[in-house]
Amino acid sequence: MTSARKPWLLIAPSLALALFIIGYPVFHMAYQSLHEISRFGVVRGFAGLGNFTGIFIDPVFHATLLRTLIWTVAVVGGSLLISMPLALILNQDFHGRSLARTIIMLPWAVSLTMTAIVWRWAFNDEFGMVNLSLQALGVIDKPVQWLASAALAFPAEILVGIMVSMPFTVTLLLGGLSSVPQDIYEAARMEGATAWQQFRLLTVPSLRPFINMAVVLNVIYVFNSFPIIWVMTQGGPSNSTHILVTYLYELGFRLGRPGQAAAISLIMLAILLAFTWLYIRMQPKEEAA
Amino acid sequence: METVRVTVAHYSNGTAPYFRQMAEQFERANPGIRIKVEDVNWDSLLQKLQIDVAGGVNADISIIGTRWLPEMLQDDLVEPLDGYMDPAFRARFIGAFLTPGQAQGKTYGLPIAASVRGLFYNKQMLAKAGFPDGPTTWSDVLQAARRIKQNGGYGFGLQGKEIETDVYWYYALWTHGGELLDAQGKPAFASPAAIKSAKLYQSLIGEGLTQPGVTSYSREDVQNLFKQGRLGMMISAPFVVKQLQKEVPGMQWGIVPIPTAGRAATFATTDSLILFKNSRVKRSAWKFIDFLFTKAPRVAFTSAEGFMPTTQEEAADPAFADPLTRSFVDMLPTARFTPTVQAWEDIAKSVSNAMQAVYLNRATPEQALGAAAAEAEQALKKN
Repeated sequence: MTSARKPWLLIAPSLALALFIIGYPVFHMAYQSLHEISRFGVVRGFAGLGNFTGIFIDPVFHATLLRTLIWTVAVVGGSLLISMPLALILNQDFHGRSLARTIIMLPWAVSLTMTAIVWRWAFNDEFGMVNLSLQALGVIDKPVQWLASAALAFPAEILVGIMVSMPFTVTLLLGGLSSVPQDIYEAARMEGATAWQQFRLLTVPSLRPFINMAVVLNVIYVFNSFPIIWVMTQGGPSNSTHILVTYLYELGFRLGRPGQAAAISLIMLAILLAFTWLYIRMQPKEEAA
Repeated sequence: METVRVTVAHYSNGTAPYFRQMAEQFERANPGIRIKVEDVNWDSLLQKLQIDVAGGVNADISIIGTRWLPEMLQDDLVEPLDGYMDPAFRARFIGAFLTPGQAQGKTYGLPIAASVRGLFYNKQMLAKAGFPDGPTTWSDVLQAARRIKQNGGYGFGLQGKEIETDVYWYYALWTHGGELLDAQGKPAFASPAAIKSAKLYQSLIGEGLTQPGVTSYSREDVQNLFKQGRLGMMISAPFVVKQLQKEVPGMQWGIVPIPTAGRAATFATTDSLILFKNSRVKRSAWKFIDFLFTKAPRVAFTSAEGFMPTTQEEAADPAFADPLTRSFVDMLPTARFTPTVQAWEDIAKSVSNAMQAVYLNRATPEQALGAAAAEAEQALKKN
């Protein structure tokens, strides 16, 4: 046996196991998406691409796809925009920093479903904390129906999404900031660089790998994130707050079309793979620039 | 020793203890048979059945929503019960309640729980509005609601999200003389009566006679408003009677039939007890089913959960002689079921979406219902 083969042999069992664990669900999903499956999981026959064409002519799917993109971009972008200054502040040495850090992390420790339930109450028109506070502050004079229409419900859900993605993003960026050597800032200050220049020319480039990681991981999480929208509006009213993952749940479990649900999850997988591939391709170019 | 596994829906906190008690009684009378009861939250029951059936680990007996039956039949999951039932058993039931569980001349599901809907009204608010005995027609509802609004309350509670959003519109549809499916079996959601009834709800919202933000109110939310004494009228099921008696004992309220506009009608629904085809202990399972549909177990279940009696003997029991239960029983002759067609879940969803669009003013009743009818027609054609 050559020494080049040895490592392969050593990792072969775990590789096979990993392939099976990852491969089996994907295979099963592909199988389901090509068959007509009853609500109770009984295979009724081969459907060809019927499930896919069924989805592509479904206007709800198109609206949902677009909404998923808005959701992902808004939540990932929003949480990054808020997390960056937060991370910078928390990286400063100040009294009570560890307490502030803990507070920022806390939402992460609470389950997403529970957070969503609390926000659903908070946005309640009658006794919700949001309306009561806004009324007390005199911003509004009568309760706002936050979750009754998509025009308000979807932005509210995006805000909740940003809030729950923040802890993770802040943690990542903080980790990045602590690895930036402090002496380059000293040198920059001696050269007379302003705070903004220091941020733009030193902090952002050194943080780039961490920002990239935050974007890729957050896109995957947020794109697939189910609880917030499901708990707050179940994709309603009138299908106007669905994102792909809530719509596929509704198709699979409420409307009894597991085949179409499987087709959507394959499409989602493809979108995420394409995004990841694109991102990996962009990396070296950015670093070279 | 044979074990019979039973999946029951969690109707209330009393459901599981009831079935366990029945299992014990039954086991004492039938040594050699063991009954294992599992109760599942109503919201996750369908999902649990889906997963259990797909995995081949389903129970022997289960409670199901009767509207799921057509799909289960297409997958050949349910045992026809005719071979087990003798004429005496069949005669136990109130005839109308057996129909929804039947298909192609065979009986697959037995009505374990049934309800019809009536209009609940707050006596104090309605008396002040000039309708001390509740409304009888939809124009009464409009008039009463206008006065209740002047007095600072919400007139008519309209449900706009989650389960039974579609049903809330059927009340208006049927009482205006409309139908869900026409004589050819095609969806008739866009008929003149259908448009008229959607416009009625639209004008209720437009005039501010409902609670604000209809599409954020589920059935429970509307019931809660009523319990808080802020809502004049709402349509709901007999089991709310128990809740009202328990939670707001001091409140004065009454029940009348669904308001009419030419025709009297109400919605009726049943949950069925079925025997799975793949059960290996069918004889024992049937024995238990037979026991559950004898008088004492039925009376105990129906009166504790606040449902309607489905067998003759229990209907005659003094437990159901009170005027509240009688007022629901009296509605039975006008009761309608939703059609048992396979795609009903899809169709109901289209109707719910259409009504939400109307409530939000995102579409006219003509547009929304026309679209729902087209969707429903597609769904019906597929099967």
